[in-house]
Amino acid sequence: MDILGSFALLLALVAAGYAFLAGLAGIFTQRPLLTKSAHHAGMAVFGLVTLGVGVLEDFFFTDNFSLAYVASHSNRALPPFYKFAALWSGQEGSLLFWSWLLSIYAFWALFLNRKRHPELMPYVGVTLAGVQTFFLLLNNFVASPFHVLASADSAGTFHLARIAEGSGLNPLLQYPEMVIHPPMLYLGYTGFTIPFAFALAALLGRYPGEKWIHITRRWTMIAWCFQSVGILLGAHWAYAVLGWGGYWAWDPVENASLLPWITGTAFLHSVMMQEKRGMMKVWNVWLVFVTFLLCILGTFLTRSGVVSSVHAFAESSIGGWFIAFLGIALLVCLGAWWKNRDYLRSDNQLDSLVSRESSFLFNNLVLLAACFAVLWGTLFPVLSEWVTGSKISVGPPFFNKVNIPIALFLLLLTGLGPLLAWRKTSLDALRRNFAWPLAGGVVAGAAAFAFGFREFYPLICLILSVFVTLTIVAEFYRGARVISRHEGTNLLTAVGSLTMRNTRRYGGYVVHLGMVLVFMGIAGSAFNRDIQMDMGPGQTLAIGPYTILCQNFDQVQNDNYQSERATLEIFRNGRSVMMLYPERRFFFTSQVTQTMVALQSSPLHDLYVVYAGRSPDTNQPVIHAYLNPLVKWIWFGGIIVVLGTGLAMLPNRRAALATATEKSASHSLAAESASPLGANADD
Amino acid sequence: MSVPSRFWSAAAGRRFPWPKLASASLLILLLAAAPLCHAQQSARAKALGQKLLCVCGCNQGLIACNHVGCTTSHTMLKELDDRIARGDSDQLILQSFVQEYGLTVLAEPPAKGFNWVAWVIPILVPFIALYIVWEVVRRWRQRAALAPAGGPQVSAELLDRARQESEKESNE
Repeated sequence: MDILGSFALLLALVAAGYAFLAGLAGIFTQRPLLTKSAHHAGMAVFGLVTLGVGVLEDFFFTDNFSLAYVASHSNRALPPFYKFAALWSGQEGSLLFWSWLLSIYAFWALFLNRKRHPELMPYVGVTLAGVQTFFLLLNNFVASPFHVLASADSAGTFHLARIAEGSGLNPLLQYPEMVIHPPMLYLGYTGFTIPFAFALAALLGRYPGEKWIHITRRWTMIAWCFQSVGILLGAHWAYAVLGWGGYWAWDPVENASLLPWITGTAFLHSVMMQEKRGMMKVWNVWLVFVTFLLCILGTFLTRSGVVSSVHAFAESSIGGWFIAFLGIALLVCLGAWWKNRDYLRSDNQLDSLVSRESSFLFNNLVLLAACFAVLWGTLFPVLSEWVTGSKISVGPPFFNKVNIPIALFLLLLTGLGPLLAWRKTSLDALRRNFAWPLAGGVVAGAAAFAFGFREFYPLICLILSVFVTLTIVAEFYRGARVISRHEGTNLLTAVGSLTMRNTRRYGGYVVHLGMVLVFMGIAGSAFNRDIQMDMGPGQTLAIGPYTILCQNFDQVQNDNYQSERATLEIFRNGRSVMMLYPERRFFFTSQVTQTMVALQSSPLHDLYVVYAGRSPDTNQPVIHAYLNPLVKWIWFGGIIVVLGTGLAMLPNRRAALATATEKSASHSLAAESASPLGANADD
Repeated sequence: MSVPSRFWSAAAGRRFPWPKLASASLLILLLAAAPLCHAQQSARAKALGQKLLCVCGCNQGLIACNHVGCTTSHTMLKELDDRIARGDSDQLILQSFVQEYGLTVLAEPPAKGFNWVAWVIPILVPFIALYIVWEVVRRWRQRAALAPAGGPQVSAELLDRARQESEKESNE
């Protein structure tokens, strides 16, 4: 079976290599047959990589430990749910998973556009095949998951090792979210390859018109949405599993996932300038390029061991491959841009500094400043060691100091931007649009101050959040009121109708609303409280409105682990409200101990209880309790962001109706003339 | 699993729970060997602990590091408490930690020597970028102002398209 898996991956590499070379030859010789054959080879990669993944999963599910990768990441007692997830738990498997997701995206993009954009698609196919070839080279020759365990006898003959049991999956990964978080993040990372391929293709092929930017935007939204979900699930996993009471530690690997998300966000805003005004074409193309390059840089950071991180894979020689690929990709981008820079000339100029265009410019500036600050902090230890010869750390205090002001400025722009008109905004319009939201924000801030809310940044965050929320509500209200008057419907129906008429705009506002909730949730961390105590049965601990009574400690065991568990009764205002069971698990196969947090979450705050070990003085179990305000707002905000993105991807009702009418007219025309119909749907 | 007869208790006629006992002992041994928790920190210790990183490689703040298997945070926290109890100043405590564990123990780069650059660049770069944006906008506006006032003859078709686009923009 391992031969089948290796062979499938080797064939996938051949197919990707062929798609790249034949695609290039097709472009230069203008031979359609060659281009078509390259297109088909590009789609075949998906089937072959899927076969490779299927074979590896079969090894996991049949507990066949003859493969080194399976033996070191699974064991017999591992639940099937986690056997599936073990695919991406190590270097080799996760790279194969990366190739697989990329092949799914590539297949999807090539299949959907097989009859469209004939001038664009050959370049898209070549770019995708180039990226796939790189990853498949790694899968085949650098980090193959199909290495068998074998030993040589005295005669030099190799014998397959017969291993009865594997080492098991890292206990930190044995958590339901870990089955979803990496695929979401990888779907984000790999997804940014598609907009990159379309942008590079449009530039290389000097594709006429702005169609390519619509296609690029749509694919970016998909990747961005997955990246957002991946980041939030990762944060939630860190919060619920690691037991330190927080969700974001500014770890280099966390930062690596944030970088392309930030530049992707910048692109999703600045792309509107190009669509509406034909401006910022160079900027947009470079944002797409940089987003892709940051995905590769992030992967390099995670896998090379160049920065220290709890997430990072073991230090390996794979980093050199990523640096080489990054260098080649950067050179291709620079070359394509330099050769075709006249193609990216702006159609329009900026008319006023008080306009929607300038707000997008500032938005991009702030987002890129944030991206740079995160990248700078992540790489500075390497730079410092290189210059001074001594290591330093750049931890959460640095990132918080640098990024909080930037993030708050961004929040301000979130409220300002949508209310400014394209081209120029008059002073009257400014007053009309901003007076009430601004007043609302100031009143909320003053009220909070009066109630003793004195932390500077959270106070600013509250004022800005109220301001942004009110601007969004006002936008919905103004539009809905007009529709309600015209159509005689109630305001709620009118809001629905308004949203569906321009899903992109109102979906965007919903995303902004979600981000406001995320900001508020993060601001809540300034008011975190915690207490730690040695607790014997019958002892109590008080935190905020809660009193925690320790009832007893016991042990629980199953095939996978044994745990020591505390039974805690939680009282609020003297009334018993719930039971919590924080525990420490000892996993037999991996011989690793892991904390399991007990969490009671409410919209106002989370009661987060950790069984933190035993006291050196009393040998009694130590309970560490945290009261974390507004954490739930972050997760809820994340859901709103995803829903808003989904909404923004829906076609407008009017546009959908128009397309349907056009289609039916075209069909009638086609039937009449009996000629083949060219696809004209929006991508 | 077959168990030798000597593991049977003659009095009760029941099998002695050796596997359970062994695994319970192993668990207790491992949990006991795992880092022991440190007592509740004072407010000053918490504030200082946030300026320090645990040096076990977890990249977490000294106060935040509670991961199982950490062999250093307990000792470091105890050391921090001892120095506070001794009446050392914050500066002295941080210096002593740097002497003992190296510069990597500080959660943020010290603002001196080359590491000063770490703080300056993230502040400087947005201002440079702002200046570049400002300059680009200024040039755009200059170019727009230099455009001929009359302009080319506008066809009815183009005017119609402009009206449609304008209507579309005001709807959006």
